[in-house]
Amino acid sequence: MAKTIITFLLAGFVTFSASAFAQQQTKPAEHDQHDHSGHDMSQDSSGTATDHDHDHHHDHDLSAEHPIDHSDHTMSPQSAEHGDGHHHHHMDHDHIMDHEGTMIMGQNLDKLPSSCKSISQEVEITVRAGRKYAAKFPGTAFAFDQQQWQVKPCSKVTFHFVNEDNIRHQFMMHGLPKYLYKYGMFHLEVTGPKTVSGTIIVPGSDDTFLVHCDISHHMEKGMKAQLVVGKGGENIPSIPGVTPYNINDTYEAENLPKVSDKAEQNAMVRQITTFTNNNLQNYGMMLIGVLIGLLCIPLFKKILFRKKSD
Amino acid sequence: MPIHLFIAILTFYLMLFGAGAQASLKLPETVKVDPAALTTEPMCDPKISPAWREAQEIEGVKIEASPGCSPDNPAWIAAAVKGTNHISMETLMKTGLSPDAIIKTDDLDGDGDPDRIIIKLEIMELNGKSPDFPGVIPTFDIAPGIQPGAWVFAPKTSGMSTENFESVRANPLLRLPSPVIRVEVGDIVQIVLENTHYFPHSIHLHGVDHPFSHKDHGGNDGVPQTSERELMPGERRIYEFQARQPGTMFYHCHVQTHTHLAMGLAGMIVVEENKPNNWLQTLNIGAGHVRHPSVAVKEQFDQEYDLHYHAMDKELVEIIQKYNDPRLIARDMNQRYDATDATEDYYTLNGLSFPYTLRESLIVVEPDQKIKLRLLNSGGELIAIHTHGHHATITHYDGVEHNPVAQIMRDVFDMAPAQRLDLRLETVNDGKHSYGEGDWLIHDHREKGITTNGMAEGGSMSSIVYTSYLNGSGLPKVSHFGIDLNEFFTKEYYERRYPIWQDLDETASLGSPAGQMGVNAATQTSLLNALYGLLIGLLIYLVSAKREQIKQSAAAAVSRLKSPKGSNQ
Ligand SMILES: [Cu+2]
Ligand SMILES: [Cu+2]
Repeated sequence: MAKTIITFLLAGFVTFSASAFAQQQTKPAEHDQHDHSGHDMSQDSSGTATDHDHDHHHDHDLSAEHPIDHSDHTMSPQSAEHGDGHHHHHMDHDHIMDHEGTMIMGQNLDKLPSSCKSISQEVEITVRAGRKYAAKFPGTAFAFDQQQWQVKPCSKVTFHFVNEDNIRHQFMMHGLPKYLYKYGMFHLEVTGPKTVSGTIIVPGSDDTFLVHCDISHHMEKGMKAQLVVGKGGENIPSIPGVTPYNINDTYEAENLPKVSDKAEQNAMVRQITTFTNNNLQNYGMMLIGVLIGLLCIPLFKKILFRKKSD
Repeated sequence: MPIHLFIAILTFYLMLFGAGAQASLKLPETVKVDPAALTTEPMCDPKISPAWREAQEIEGVKIEASPGCSPDNPAWIAAAVKGTNHISMETLMKTGLSPDAIIKTDDLDGDGDPDRIIIKLEIMELNGKSPDFPGVIPTFDIAPGIQPGAWVFAPKTSGMSTENFESVRANPLLRLPSPVIRVEVGDIVQIVLENTHYFPHSIHLHGVDHPFSHKDHGGNDGVPQTSERELMPGERRIYEFQARQPGTMFYHCHVQTHTHLAMGLAGMIVVEENKPNNWLQTLNIGAGHVRHPSVAVKEQFDQEYDLHYHAMDKELVEIIQKYNDPRLIARDMNQRYDATDATEDYYTLNGLSFPYTLRESLIVVEPDQKIKLRLLNSGGELIAIHTHGHHATITHYDGVEHNPVAQIMRDVFDMAPAQRLDLRLETVNDGKHSYGEGDWLIHDHREKGITTNGMAEGGSMSSIVYTSYLNGSGLPKVSHFGIDLNEFFTKEYYERRYPIWQDLDETASLGSPAGQMGVNAATQTSLLNALYGLLIGLLIYLVSAKREQIKQSAAAAVSRLKSPKGSNQ
């Protein structure tokens, strides 16, 4: 008895862990790092209608390299007339925003983290965001094209954030040293289809940083990733294809219509005229039952015997 | 041996019963809940600056005083009146709006106000499930501790969905109800829907003069069965119209309307008469007091309020708190939820239930004023709004003016789902329009309308309160009647854990009785159950241990039964 119970428990555990494993296994996105040349290449390669390539929008793009000159846009007391004042750009050291809400916050072009003697490498990473990247992760709605990026400690990293949807998305990084980054945050935001770029210098120690979009339920529904510095730190949960969810939904098989149901229905219709056919099927099932029963007899015997010998 | 055990357990069991009988000679004492044990919230939200209540001018926009305790952020009003394209970065930063949220341009008729209006709306989820922690995010409380899952049209925002990274509370722009939209007759209005939500949605402009199909943007009625495909997540659609008639109207999502509307994708849209220099407050975020009314309203009234009544079914709104996977949410909402079995549990006025309605949905009046009230019922059932102490005149039904000579006065205003009424409330103390100054309730007179999840005091109840009855923090002055509203500002009240009549007298005669002495009923039953289990277990053990014996005796019995049969044969 005890043995059978243990066997059942084991079987349950195996199926359980198998499903958990399956979730973890869903293809850890290849973390190919985009270097300088790769960046522009990938931009060009996807010049379809939806993919508003970088070049096309270049002059609109808000990027670290071309900060908007704010000197002639300083906010003067607003005149009552409308039609002017179309552009306002907000610029202080860590907050740049244009008239469409494209935003760079917490950028760091030159301040070296205390744990770094010098910048180890300069990297450019293109991050694409959109609904279409959620397709490879069933049960999500939005995603980045990759869920994990790796850089060396003390890298100067420029992110080119390409929003391919027609709504807002964000590339928001948390947990950066607060003496360099206000609230420990680096934040790119743009309404697509459009690109925004920003630069940070990552700390000198191994660590892993959360990257997400903070628009309500974008992170919860898939738009989540991590930046791994060096060997990385603790993994961040619920990253599609990389780490399992902390809290999992339960799934049950549903009674969905199948083509084979139709065949069965047809069989039912036929049953009225030729019910022997169906009877045959029933007899077949019965026969299988009997066979199973017969096969099980020795097993039952064994169990009974053991009991008696106990 | 086991027989002895058996007997011992039986004795114990009888003793338990005896103890219970003895205790019932005297009934349990009353236990009073110590107020210190309650999580009392300040009655007035401390995050809202009292300076916001004052009459002020921002960016040249005159903003009326609003003495309630949680008035609208004046920067929101300035942005809504001027457009986010016409205000300073400093003001814009105080709003949290995206710089392209409200774009106003082109005075087409040369009357001194902009006539091309672009309003960008996003769709935001409130109180939805997280795969990371057991709570909901971003949180929006309609009453203390009450967080129904909801979806709203929100003005296009900038930055985070929560107050900040440490907080799970929603950004103040993300709230129930969907904002009130105000445009002028003749304006070329584009409502740009950017579907930031994980489900398909649309906008249907109920009552607003709009073309069925627009030459540039295609289908314009928001109905997936007649005019357009559902707007998928990540997509944008423009709804364009140029209204020829004024009136209080309604906009809502028309995808799976029986659930999406109830989830909160519903708002009031007002088309104002075309007047010169009519800079409208394009969005009234959170509805309520209109602090920058239109020219036409100012000509006839002293004040204006938008009152949006809504209702939500707990079983529906909990679906987004049960699952994170959008497929499971879709399955439960579209295929499993049965709207004909639905019962509404949460009744809100301007997105909140009592007592939060006291914070921001009071109708604050002075004697001898004319006040315009615009009412919308976006719930699924008829409501019956009663104004204590006042009869008001119905001037418009569904945005259309009622024949002035036939207009009637009532004190109960029945409103079918989707219905709008414009009322003229006159605070003239003549025994008909008003019975005088006071803190007069305004509430849905279906009694469940004053409940939250079936428990009073809650629901969409608010007050018409004269300024002489308003205290320093903008709440109704009730303490001189010995009334303490603090208990309503605790989540324990709505968790049904607070005996609401315990403080009516010194002895707490209607307070909560303590449990039984010794063992309370619940533990007693669970103990009993354990005992039964034990007895059954023992019985099984006995049966299996004495199996041979039983078998033999059974065989003997059978043979005894058989033998007379045999002898008969
Ligand atoms: Cu996003
Ligand atoms: Cu919808």
